[in-house]
Amino acid sequence: MLLFENTRQKLLYFLKILGSPFKKFVSTGEFKEELSLVQSRQDLLESIINIIENNENFILPIIGEVGIGKTHLYWTLKNKLYYHNTVYISLENVYKKFYYNTYSEFIENLGVEPLRYIANQLCNSWGALERKFGFFHVADISKVRKTACENWSSKFDDEIALTDVINAITAHQLDPYKKIDAERWLLGELMDVRELSRLNLTHDLRKEVNSFLMLKILIENSKLGSVLFIDDFEKILSMMKAAEEETDETEEVFDPSWLYGTQNRALPEIRTAKKILDKILNLQKIHGIRTIITLKSIDSFEEIKKMIEEKNRKLLFFLKEPLFLLGLDERDMFQFYKKAMEQFLENINYVEFLKENPDSYYPLNEKVLKYIFNESNGNPREIIKFLIKIFNEIIFSYEELDDILVKYE
Amino acid sequence: MNNTDKIILYDSINKIKIIGEFTGSIISKYKDSIIFSDNIKITESEGINISQGLLVGFEDISENKIAYSRKSDFSWENLEDSALEYCVLIPNDIMELYSEGQFSDAFPFTITLLHTAGLYLNDFKQGINHLDFFKGEILKNPVALIRNGMLVADRVVINDKGDPVFYDCLIVGRDQKEDLNISFEPLANVDDRVVEFVIILGIESLKTT
Repeated sequence: MLLFENTRQKLLYFLKILGSPFKKFVSTGEFKEELSLVQSRQDLLESIINIIENNENFILPIIGEVGIGKTHLYWTLKNKLYYHNTVYISLENVYKKFYYNTYSEFIENLGVEPLRYIANQLCNSWGALERKFGFFHVADISKVRKTACENWSSKFDDEIALTDVINAITAHQLDPYKKIDAERWLLGELMDVRELSRLNLTHDLRKEVNSFLMLKILIENSKLGSVLFIDDFEKILSMMKAAEEETDETEEVFDPSWLYGTQNRALPEIRTAKKILDKILNLQKIHGIRTIITLKSIDSFEEIKKMIEEKNRKLLFFLKEPLFLLGLDERDMFQFYKKAMEQFLENINYVEFLKENPDSYYPLNEKVLKYIFNESNGNPREIIKFLIKIFNEIIFSYEELDDILVKYE
Repeated sequence: MNNTDKIILYDSINKIKIIGEFTGSIISKYKDSIIFSDNIKITESEGINISQGLLVGFEDISENKIAYSRKSDFSWENLEDSALEYCVLIPNDIMELYSEGQFSDAFPFTITLLHTAGLYLNDFKQGINHLDFFKGEILKNPVALIRNGMLVADRVVINDKGDPVFYDCLIVGRDQKEDLNISFEPLANVDDRVVEFVIILGIESLKTT
């Protein structure tokens, strides 16, 4: 009969078998973060949510140094904003085919069912679901397409793109034989000429105007609000600077004027960066898109502001005053550690430990946590790196726990 | 006016007559035919008027029974002597359910007839029975008159016993107390012995009428 169980020793055994509770020190847009923001950041979170809920179009800069938790903020916003479709775009990864990639991310977040619903509602508004004699849906696709073109021709400039979008939406809703292919097109799948011609379309969504138009249609007709979280916005600046430095300082083996002409000395990187900025600013034409951008410093913000001003002064109207993401304070770090451990214990189904040791920081202690905080200056990424290091030592070392902890006190 | 609480607008058996102008989805039974319409006007002085309704039934042409669907205006001044049995307004919530079944991608290989045709007629002399011919097929837009009621569905499948199975259908019929009831059924398996007729509405007939 078991009279006494050493819960602390058992936790150490679990750690040695299952590994560290702290594994990841970089948050990304792909892997969901479960932990919410720490207490001191709740006010910031409330301010952001307040701006999102009370404004329809804006660009909100969030400024914070490397590893401060900007991407983690995205996950918290995504978990909090139930009535918004929050999409993550990292400019580190997405700087080519910007609209197409943004559309793909948007669709992935939105899901197929809302897409079908929006397509259905649009067709309904074009008279497709009108009931003849009060009962019978007699869908005349050409008539519906004509109505759609008449309704939208004044709103959209590019006729070819508009025809493509209308043809795809109406085929999806009213032509059961083409529905599956049309849905593939709407989901942003790549299609060859034969598939496109079967649907009576000219381009798939890799075509910039098509993906922009679809993005506009979905955002403006979605019941959910749309938040675009553009991470690593400084990529635009770094691309420009790198290219400028290259032109100023490096010796050219080949004369770039052979390729790019003598008048325009701007290298492809500069032009790409400018194009991305133009595209992001162009997104403001979509009614109801809320853009959050992350930057590392206030200087970068000033530079971006200047660039926007040079392009079009009126666009500054959309640019909000920046919000600052500061480092954690000591209390936050303790709270973060407790929460992460709680989550780990819940995942391994060992909540008894929490019941028996409700206020314990085991296997670490208060002194170690204070040491970590002082060494990392409250930077969450540095804190997690320290925690990973210490836990790995606890798991893999043959030393006693107390001997390990002494090194960090 | 669209009043979903008063769904039985006229019932000659139970002596119901609601005065007013109604729009929506209205089914009326007249003789052995069915009238579909999106409007009806019931007044004390002028009786019942339906503008541009669709009359569906069988008619005798050269000693043959031929199915038809025809757009027409209808007017009954003297209701007591008329063969109009009832008029019901289908509630919006039931119509929404009915509409959801339309354009279903679960049945892409549905046969849509261009012109209205009779699939089945329960008649001793001039009966029609094409159920065996269409066994296993899915036919779009069936309308059926059954014992004590009528049925309009999105599609009908003839099962291996030769009985029609209606999908996404509205059923209007009388219960044991002779009260009229309306219901929506995702699937209704009907024994062909209780079916008076099944007519498949032609898509071109619907578009052009």
